[in-house]
Amino acid sequence: MTDHPRYPGYDVLDKRNTPSWDAVTRRVIDRRIAVSREPHFFSAAEWAVADAVTRRILPQPAGRPPVPLAALLDAKLLADVGDGFREADMPYMGDAWHHGIAALEVESRARHAGRGFAELDAAEQDALLGLMHRGELTDPAWDGLGARNFFTKRLLSDIPGLYYSHPTAWSEMGFGGPASPRGYVRMALDRRDPWEAAQAGPGREQEALRENKNVV
Amino acid sequence: MAEGSSKMSENSVTKVRGKRSPGGSRGMSTDVERSLAGRETLPLPPPNGPILGETTTVKAARRINRAAGTIAASVLADSAMEHYRGDFHNKAMWTPLIASALSLAVSAHGHRDRRHGAHRGRDMVYLAAGLTGIVGTGFHLYNITKKPGGFSWQNVFYSAPIGAPAALSLSGLMGFLSERVRDNEPGTSPTVAGYSAGRVVAALTGVSLLGTMGEAGLLHFRGAYHNPFMFVPVSVPPVAAALLANAAVGKSRVRRHVTRWWLRSTTLMGILGVGFHAYGVSSNMGGWRNWRQNAFNGPPLPAPPSFTGLAMAGLAALGLLEDHPDD
Repeated sequence: MTDHPRYPGYDVLDKRNTPSWDAVTRRVIDRRIAVSREPHFFSAAEWAVADAVTRRILPQPAGRPPVPLAALLDAKLLADVGDGFREADMPYMGDAWHHGIAALEVESRARHAGRGFAELDAAEQDALLGLMHRGELTDPAWDGLGARNFFTKRLLSDIPGLYYSHPTAWSEMGFGGPASPRGYVRMALDRRDPWEAAQAGPGREQEALRENKNVV
Repeated sequence: MAEGSSKMSENSVTKVRGKRSPGGSRGMSTDVERSLAGRETLPLPPPNGPILGETTTVKAARRINRAAGTIAASVLADSAMEHYRGDFHNKAMWTPLIASALSLAVSAHGHRDRRHGAHRGRDMVYLAAGLTGIVGTGFHLYNITKKPGGFSWQNVFYSAPIGAPAALSLSGLMGFLSERVRDNEPGTSPTVAGYSAGRVVAALTGVSLLGTMGEAGLLHFRGAYHNPFMFVPVSVPPVAAALLANAAVGKSRVRRHVTRWWLRSTTLMGILGVGFHAYGVSSNMGGWRNWRQNAFNGPPLPAPPSFTGLAMAGLAALGLLEDHPDD
């Protein structure tokens, strides 16, 4: 991914002061970038588990500052802005996270001689998350939530959502940010507006790099 | 040739005397009068140089050259913008830029040319422009039909504009007419294909105005006539077309003040249209600061002067009818 970036040289933040973004967008994105790296919703122990989980659900490439997923998650839960709906068999978002992290810790300590999830190595963490995904974690600590439910309805929904809310991920996938105030005029397939990221097709890396320096 | 020039001088003389001698302010007319009185000889104009005065036929032809040039300028700017928007995806998309630029250039050439006789180069370019417009219409139709849904309202509204290439044909048609008018012998009543030139130009201009109105009507309908002024280009041109049709078939020995003023208004409308379209661009999100989107998303700035060009041709037709009544 880092070896052959799909959008070489593209940084969506270059568009910050162009007509593509307005004051509202700048304010929202500035706040998102400057998210506090300290726990406010989670306890320090919960934060460590949440941080480890996010790293395994969405591993990030070396060579660039990672999207601060635990911090974004903490901020989202603190703000308590939910999805607008809740499934009947799921607790409220914040409660689900407190509950799920506690249950995961119970499972980890029971299976790994008292070591918490954050202390496991990556393979051990992946194995435990795999059990969670398949619903094979059945400690009574999961009662009222369900390991599989927590995995599919919180982990897989919250963490990628937060990842792709961050400008670093936008640059990675060539997204231009909100299509307001500036939208697009070349709507046909494989057409590109000058303020759109240029994709590096095979043999087009240098061209894309040059075009992406002028995406404003 | 010698006969031709002497006729031309006579013609100039008539015109100069008719129009300019009362004031006597122009040196030329006093020269002419002196020469008529036999006191001096009128120097022959240098070959290819400006000829003193011009026949009404050439004057009309030059007017129609300017009309063709105005439409060509509109097409040049419009096709350049819209085809840039289309990334010149198909190399053929350069064609209307070249054809309209050439049409504009030969129109300027015709505007400067005060001689009788069609010009082969101008004729070729005008014919090529006319043909390019027809082929372009074919391309635009193909662009519409190859979209999912084929020939549907959605695609007619949002694909390549079906009426746009026709404007290039109109530039070619007007230029071609200009050359036909100019091709008449000095001192004769100009005809085109055997019919009174004024009537032919009036009729074809009227039809062209209706076609251009169709394009404006389609796109303004797409825009839901959200601004009442959007009704102007579908209200003024049909009246102009009707007045021109009347001029084309009616008596030629009448002063058509209403037609003349209506055509002048149509000329103005095409220019004011650019202003309205500029306002349309400014009212899109981001306004002119976001011109790189809005100049393409908003109403096309260069489109309205097509009406100006056609109305100019209509005025030339009126001039021809008045100068050369045929009944």
